[in-house]
Amino acid sequence: MTDILLFRDIDEPGLATIDVYERRGGYQALRTALKTDPAELIETLKGSGLRGRGGAGFPMGLKASFIPQGDMQKYVVVNADESEPGTFKDRELMQKNPHQLIEGVIIAAYAVGATKSFIYIRGEYEEQADILDAAVQEAYAKGYLGENVAGSGVELSLHVQRGAGAYICGEETGLLDSLEGRRGNPRLKPPFPANAGLFQGPTLINNVETLSALPHIVELGAETYSAIGVANSSGTKLISISGNVQRPGNYEIELGMSSRDIIYGLAGGPPEGREVKFWFPGGSSSPVLTADDLDVGYDFDSIAKAGSMLGSGAIIVVDDSQSVVDVCLKLAHFYAHESCGKCTPCREGTNWTEKMLGRVKDGTATPMDLDIMASVQQRIIGNCLCVLGDAMAMPVSSMIAKFRGEFEAHIEAARAAADRAAVGVAG
Amino acid sequence: MPRPVAQMVTFTLNGQEVTAPENAILADAALEHGNVEIPVFCYEPKIGGPVGACRMCLVEIEGIPKLQAGCSVPVKDGMVVHTDTPRVREAQEAVLEFILVNHPLDCPVCDKGGECPLQDKSFGWGDGISRFVEPKRHFEKPLALSPLIAIDRERCILCYRCVRFSQEVSEDHQLVLQERGAHAFVATFDGHPYVAPFSGNIIELCPVGALTSQPYRFRARPWDIEQSGSICTLCPAQCNVSFTVRDDRVLRVLQRDHEGVDDGWLCDKGRFAYQAIHVDERITQPLLRDGGELRPVTWELALETAAAALGRGRGRTAALAGGAATNEEGWLLQGLLRDSLDSADIDSRAGGTLPLDLHQALGAPALQASVPDLEFAHAVLVLGTEPVDDAPVLDLRLRKGVRRHGLQLFTATSRPSALDERAVLAVRYAPGAEAAFVAALDAALTGADVAGPAAAAGADADAVRALADGLRAAGEDIVVLWGERVCSGAAGADAARGLLNVAARLGLEGRDGAGLLGVPDGANGRGLREVGVLPNAAPGLAAPDTDGRDAAGIAAALAAGELTGVYLLRTDPLVDLADTPLWERALEKATTVIAHASFLTPGIAEHATVVFPAESHAEKEGTVVHPDGRLQRLRPAIGRQGETRPEWQVLAELRRALGNDERLLTCSMVTARMLESIPFYAGLTLDTIGADGTRWTERPQGAAAPAGAAAPFDLPAPAPAASPNGRLRLGTFRSIWASPEVGASPALKFLHPRQRVELAPGDAERLGVRHGSPVTVACDGRSVTGIAHVRASAPEGSVFLETAIAADSAAELDGPLVEVRPA
Amino acid sequence: MTWTPGPDQIEVVGGPSKAGGAGGLYRAFGETLRGLKTTFMQATEGVTTVQYPEEKIPVYPRFRGRHRLHTFEDTGLEKCVGCSLCAAACPSDCIRVVAAENTPENRVSAGERYAAVYEINLSRCIFCGYCEIACPFDAITMGHDYEMSDYNRSDLIFTKEMLLAEPLERTPLRAEGE
Repeated sequence: MTDILLFRDIDEPGLATIDVYERRGGYQALRTALKTDPAELIETLKGSGLRGRGGAGFPMGLKASFIPQGDMQKYVVVNADESEPGTFKDRELMQKNPHQLIEGVIIAAYAVGATKSFIYIRGEYEEQADILDAAVQEAYAKGYLGENVAGSGVELSLHVQRGAGAYICGEETGLLDSLEGRRGNPRLKPPFPANAGLFQGPTLINNVETLSALPHIVELGAETYSAIGVANSSGTKLISISGNVQRPGNYEIELGMSSRDIIYGLAGGPPEGREVKFWFPGGSSSPVLTADDLDVGYDFDSIAKAGSMLGSGAIIVVDDSQSVVDVCLKLAHFYAHESCGKCTPCREGTNWTEKMLGRVKDGTATPMDLDIMASVQQRIIGNCLCVLGDAMAMPVSSMIAKFRGEFEAHIEAARAAADRAAVGVAG
Repeated sequence: MPRPVAQMVTFTLNGQEVTAPENAILADAALEHGNVEIPVFCYEPKIGGPVGACRMCLVEIEGIPKLQAGCSVPVKDGMVVHTDTPRVREAQEAVLEFILVNHPLDCPVCDKGGECPLQDKSFGWGDGISRFVEPKRHFEKPLALSPLIAIDRERCILCYRCVRFSQEVSEDHQLVLQERGAHAFVATFDGHPYVAPFSGNIIELCPVGALTSQPYRFRARPWDIEQSGSICTLCPAQCNVSFTVRDDRVLRVLQRDHEGVDDGWLCDKGRFAYQAIHVDERITQPLLRDGGELRPVTWELALETAAAALGRGRGRTAALAGGAATNEEGWLLQGLLRDSLDSADIDSRAGGTLPLDLHQALGAPALQASVPDLEFAHAVLVLGTEPVDDAPVLDLRLRKGVRRHGLQLFTATSRPSALDERAVLAVRYAPGAEAAFVAALDAALTGADVAGPAAAAGADADAVRALADGLRAAGEDIVVLWGERVCSGAAGADAARGLLNVAARLGLEGRDGAGLLGVPDGANGRGLREVGVLPNAAPGLAAPDTDGRDAAGIAAALAAGELTGVYLLRTDPLVDLADTPLWERALEKATTVIAHASFLTPGIAEHATVVFPAESHAEKEGTVVHPDGRLQRLRPAIGRQGETRPEWQVLAELRRALGNDERLLTCSMVTARMLESIPFYAGLTLDTIGADGTRWTERPQGAAAPAGAAAPFDLPAPAPAASPNGRLRLGTFRSIWASPEVGASPALKFLHPRQRVELAPGDAERLGVRHGSPVTVACDGRSVTGIAHVRASAPEGSVFLETAIAADSAAELDGPLVEVRPA
Repeated sequence: MTWTPGPDQIEVVGGPSKAGGAGGLYRAFGETLRGLKTTFMQATEGVTTVQYPEEKIPVYPRFRGRHRLHTFEDTGLEKCVGCSLCAAACPSDCIRVVAAENTPENRVSAGERYAAVYEINLSRCIFCGYCEIACPFDAITMGHDYEMSDYNRSDLIFTKEMLLAEPLERTPLRAEGE
């Protein structure tokens, strides 16, 4: 069974160097791909059922097929701005196996006819950016990049661009603006990047993990790859587990695995004597699920049916020692701080929610404020320019809905404590 | 690119069938064709495409699950749109509530209060209550974004219209958003004040009171004021404006959007120089020179003295008209001179006159491009003019064409142009070598020898060839935007012939969307020519009985004593015309100098014998002609200040005193007489001119215009431009800010120019001149001082100095070569 | 043709009978005496004429008299910020406000702006009180003074200083329940 693909050789010493990578069969898939017709390659990608691993889960092959034909300048951009709290899978991929990504980029560029490609990596990933830079140099030196890719006559350049550390630059159009040298703000869609992306040219933009899967798809073929996983969620997925678990880290799983097996089996569950209170199935922007949902299969459709989303595949487990108010406030603070300020509901909604949660925290709120807060979340969802506003509103509203009692109890307790302190000072 | 033609489609809006152009923005189509307002804040089609930032315009479109931004959805056939469902109303209430989260409710002290889109939208679509009880964000306020604009960041709703204006319309790239999220604020990139030629437009763009005018600050509220539409005559662009009037004072100038003229923008001169109307320095009563001093006198005495002096100088009096004079005034002036004073010496051009048939040919209706053509042409050649200085609003039009319609822009100037950065190709030639350059371009277009004329022009022959090829390759719709200085000076006639040749080679005649567009020096330069304020043209560009002297000839004749008097209608030769030394001698020698003036500029203060107070542009009545042939109507917004009387009336009274019995009682009578006397204006009345003006060149009666000389012409070999040989070629320019109105306006005074000596870094280094240091520019024993401005794009071997400034003007120097040294 | 009343006929009441006697005497003098009684009873009540201007009738608290502008008691700053809303609300267009900006050296009001000119033309004012309602800062209220006659019309234009000053003679105010 080939349920380990992307992490197959991940612990191989020196895998980041091209020699080791080639020795382990690297760049063979590229040679196969270059012999295939690009249109056929896109059919393979479509047939593999690979869905984007960055968060939205859009079918990758379909996205590639949207890139128009013609001899205009086209681009492939790798979204390596892995900023979603709880997500750290791309970091390991780029640090330990950069050539797998580069190979994936070249295959994607060949498939859509792009001759320029960029890896936009978040500024905090300095070490990974250095590794990628070195790997790109090696690939150039070996002729996998440049004017004649692997002797096929295809041209491709690849540049690693470091961001400056803004969550919004992980939004694809914000990333493109930032890459163009402008303020990283999301753009109005349509036009989508496939038609007018980087420098207004057709652009294929994908997550690191998505592109890293391409060599394996080419190697295995569409049918074999799509057989892995469950219907509508084929292939393997890297998941980053963090929070109150005994063995946090990155794991590669076959999609469809039970969530309980992941949290309790792979990650060892919460510390002794603790229970899972709630968990984020796909990064901090996914609505929370509770212990009741632990038996849900970990794939796109099942998680969606449970009322959340698979997102970037980052599971954050919160046990019963934690306060939901603290988690919620921390989350709201993050999104209020990272909101770009371009559209009104996100800018003011995140800021307002953070202020309200601050009052919940210190006990100056009333239960009516919880109603207002819930209504504010509903007024954010679906009304924003990009999904950052929704990314805060969805988990916050799910937490208020599922743990309203705890919020109210916290307000009571905090107010009582404040009153006691005031009396103490006065007395 | 030619204007797109839109097909009409039908869509359903709130259950009602609406027909609108396909792909029109839904918010626009709903308002214009369906009478349904979709509220917007960030959307402003004048700035550019939609950005969907404020989310105020959310609407429901059947078939799309999420609410869509009405400012960004193009109308399609069969689309079903709802703007009044509970879901949409909830979203609109939500967005307004969010916007008001951080917007202070200080409407009573806010200048926007009463004319504020946010107030209107809150009233129309808001919930009426706010559930936000936390503290709002705070910024230091009030702050000056520039001496002209106050910024209140607390009120800002971050629609970033101003930022987009700066980035995408005026392209000065100064305004940016700083910080992120709810802490974001508008600021300049480098923290310096936002000073740019078009900065004031952001005040009108701001949908809240975040950006307000400093001069208008707290002056009035919307219910205290009245708006009065007219035309700004401070430059040839003749933007349509609306004066804000309170208690008979102009307090503000707003744009009055006219797609065919200004596209809804104003420059800061037009927007803020109204202050000069109400300053103490302004002349508001007649002055008479008495014992060497100008003293206030009664109108009767002033008119009597002037009429007597003119009567004595019959046959020996000349007249000059400045650019701000209206058609009526020009027509009366030429009548006064030609009929009552038996003189033909009258001029309105600074650079010498052209043969009449060339004036006729350059102004021929078939060859005239319109202002919108600048935007939709395939290519525009900017020749010998700097739009941002000479007719500022055209600069924005060209940038819009390049940005939105794929216009290919070419610049050919001696001084580097602000538009070079947007041009496909920028070609330089030596200052004053316009005729040679045009000859070279003509040669390149016909495939003749380019090298000779290009060398004479000091231009690169390959660049000229590339320019010719580029123009030919761009398409058929080509507009040549040329400045009056091209056809000035000794070789002016040759340059005009060359220009007509170029137009003929490119096939511009009779083509819609192509042609020539000449930017005159004076605001109404074109109108004054057409009503006969030229030494060799009578009204209607007809041949006069006798030809007279042009401006330079008048100066020489005055200095030689052949003429004894000069009538200066809104012009001061010492400021507006070249060769100051000669004019000083001329005015010194003249026994009668009658002037209409608003300010005591040097020539008026020292030499005028009678000064009549001139009206400001807000007080004026009459007509003017836009460079593209559009007759526009001026209407008085305020009463005349002080004892000022209308200038047409003064001219009419002098005419009567000098023996013409025709009674002209109102300005509209003068207008009617003037329009009757010109064949190609036939049938025009003040009513047909109306609020939007009328292009006479487009009317059938326009065919009555004399055709003039027919291209192509054989051009003589141009004289070579002077070789610098250690010295520098003298080029001149007139800054947008070089006008007495700017100097007199308290808010704009800081922009009033002092001499700025522009030169290339190489020359500066060779001459030991540092940027910002004082330098002396000398020629033939005369010199001026100025501040060195080392400009990387300036061509080596040339130096550029300002004209039309009161002190140290380049008009003091004769050229063509000057010496520059550190002062 | 004779009139035949229908079923909705109402009773016809006859006039006074022509008979004399006591009834006739009463009719002749009774009402007159009753009227005289009222007249003589008034004579005992004393004088009710108010000796204006020596004496003034107290006004009700909500009486709308001459306007007053107010200052803050603690800082002495004017409450009016010169927003002109009173002028906008005024149906007789008798208020004129010209605003100016406060500076650190010359702080007149609490906000950014203040009224440099505030004039009410009392010869045109109809004392409707809309200005008071419109004011967002309670800077203008209707006072109780009604003695505003003057010899010159121009003297009826009240300036800011006059409106800010305490009225010279206070109009008596009617006490609660009076």
